[in-house]
Amino acid sequence: MSVLLELQSVTKTFSIGGFFDRSKLQAVKGATFALDDTRPEIFTIVGESGSGKTTIARMILGNETPTTGTIRFMGEDVSQLRSRRRRLAFMARVQPIFQNPFEAFNPLTTLDYYLYSTARRFLGVRGAAADEALDKALNHVGLSLAEVKGRYSHELSGGQLQRIAVARALIPGPKLIVADEPVSMVDASLRMSIVNLFRTLRDDLGVSIIYITHDLATAYYISDRVIIMHKGDVIEAGEARAVLDNPQQAYSLALKNAVLPPDPTAARLALERRRSAVSAV
Amino acid sequence: MDGFAKYLVRRFFQFILVVFLGVSLTFLITNLSPVDPVEQTVSLMTNFGATDPRSVELMREALAELYGLQGSFLDQYLSFWGRVVRGDFGPSLSSFPTPVMSLIMGALPWTIGLLTLAVVITWILGNLLGALAGYFRSNLMLKLAGATVMALHPVPAYILGLVLLLIFGYAWPVLPISGGAQMNLQPSLTFDYIRSLILHGTLPAMTLVLAGIGGWFISMRSLVSNIVTDDHVVYAELGGVSSSKIFSQYVARNALLPQVTGLALSLGSVFGGAVITEFLFNYPGMGRLLVQGIYRGDYSLVLGVTTMSIIAVAIAVFVIDLIYPLIDPRVRLG
Repeated sequence: MSVLLELQSVTKTFSIGGFFDRSKLQAVKGATFALDDTRPEIFTIVGESGSGKTTIARMILGNETPTTGTIRFMGEDVSQLRSRRRRLAFMARVQPIFQNPFEAFNPLTTLDYYLYSTARRFLGVRGAAADEALDKALNHVGLSLAEVKGRYSHELSGGQLQRIAVARALIPGPKLIVADEPVSMVDASLRMSIVNLFRTLRDDLGVSIIYITHDLATAYYISDRVIIMHKGDVIEAGEARAVLDNPQQAYSLALKNAVLPPDPTAARLALERRRSAVSAV
Repeated sequence: MDGFAKYLVRRFFQFILVVFLGVSLTFLITNLSPVDPVEQTVSLMTNFGATDPRSVELMREALAELYGLQGSFLDQYLSFWGRVVRGDFGPSLSSFPTPVMSLIMGALPWTIGLLTLAVVITWILGNLLGALAGYFRSNLMLKLAGATVMALHPVPAYILGLVLLLIFGYAWPVLPISGGAQMNLQPSLTFDYIRSLILHGTLPAMTLVLAGIGGWFISMRSLVSNIVTDDHVVYAELGGVSSSKIFSQYVARNALLPQVTGLALSLGSVFGGAVITEFLFNYPGMGRLLVQGIYRGDYSLVLGVTTMSIIAVAIAVFVIDLIYPLIDPRVRLG
């Protein structure tokens, strides 16, 4: 098997505090995992806020450098990508999707202008060829160039914008998409459409996706493999079903129990049971 | 009616409302003030000797008419509006009988020249430094510049002005410290006169720039540091967009929008003059005129300067509302 992405005991330490009070925060402690090149998958990182999942995403994208350990993408050390040309080549294969769709585009330019410049930058195409590339990418997310043309980001809904963000990520034809909490700011009713979109991308386009979330329900629904992070440690890793059906650690169990059942009556019962258990103590 | 016309009409009514309320308030406040301009003038004129009581009475009536103080409160209010529309605020009390309007017209060019220049320089410098400091957070030179500007920020203009006065007028006397231009020169487009104009303006302008730059700097830096963490900037950085392009196209452009509003407001308030600075350097502008008016109980002068200032600020806000859709697509309508 050839390796698409490989993290080897990656740690990241931040210095926090002021001038006189230098303390260290270990955001990520020894994360190790690898994604296979030949078998595209949805690899999910689950964890609460501050568990280090976003830091991992930023390191994979080359936005932060690991304190120790290495991250290799197709054999290339990500932290060594200094030159503009190599950065571009890397970005053409690894694309990010961010949490807040309203922040993902420069509010002062039209979305199609934005997408055109992405096409020009990564594919080097203009004119009709760019039109075609854009339309193709937008079709994958259920939109078309005509719908987006001349619009600004404030004119569209969060769900639409997040789709366009996915389309933008698709334009260069990437191997890997790093999606950091892509649905946490999208309407609950539209969440599934985005999550399902990831599945189509994996199956139809062969794109691997690193899906970062705190939402166990979608993680369970969509992931092939999952790791659970807690305060910088990877506390569980493995096949999604195996991990989520049968958590080994107390934390992952608590996490799983915190998910409300989708049935509102059952949810209410579960809540009341929990409350009476607490008051009994 | 399409969206923009609707927007225009709504804004225009807002503008009218602001002017109406502002001018009415000015009238009310000066009307409630214990200073009676008629009695002031009468006492000024009868200072030099006893006058026949009947002619004093006649003088009172004539003056009341001159100042628009005849009849009931409502009559006065209506006649005040008439005078505002005609641009006639009656004669000045302190320099009787020169009309207030000609005093204002004499002071306006000085103030506009000095303040427009100072406001624009302050705005450009403050925003440029602030944006750079917010974007290149670790640059030592910018940190130093930032610290200097922030240290100057809380210092009041009159202290800064006095310090500059001491430095450049006393310790190292290279700049003139008082007036708008050399007294013995006639206003003309000659080199000597323009040079004297610039030299006289330097210290007051420096005071205004140093006092004002910190505000722009601080707000711009915080605006920029907010935008720098926005995802679209992160995306551009990841994509290897050059940092100068990110700075100008993504960061500075987005951060400048609220600052443009600020600039327009500052430019509008130019008409009120820089009271303290002008007074300190004896600069013949609107601010000094206003101080003069207040000190000497010159009712009509204060009224005139304040009204002009209110109208100017309201116009500035109106104009900025009109051009804002051009620079920010988010307020573009229809």
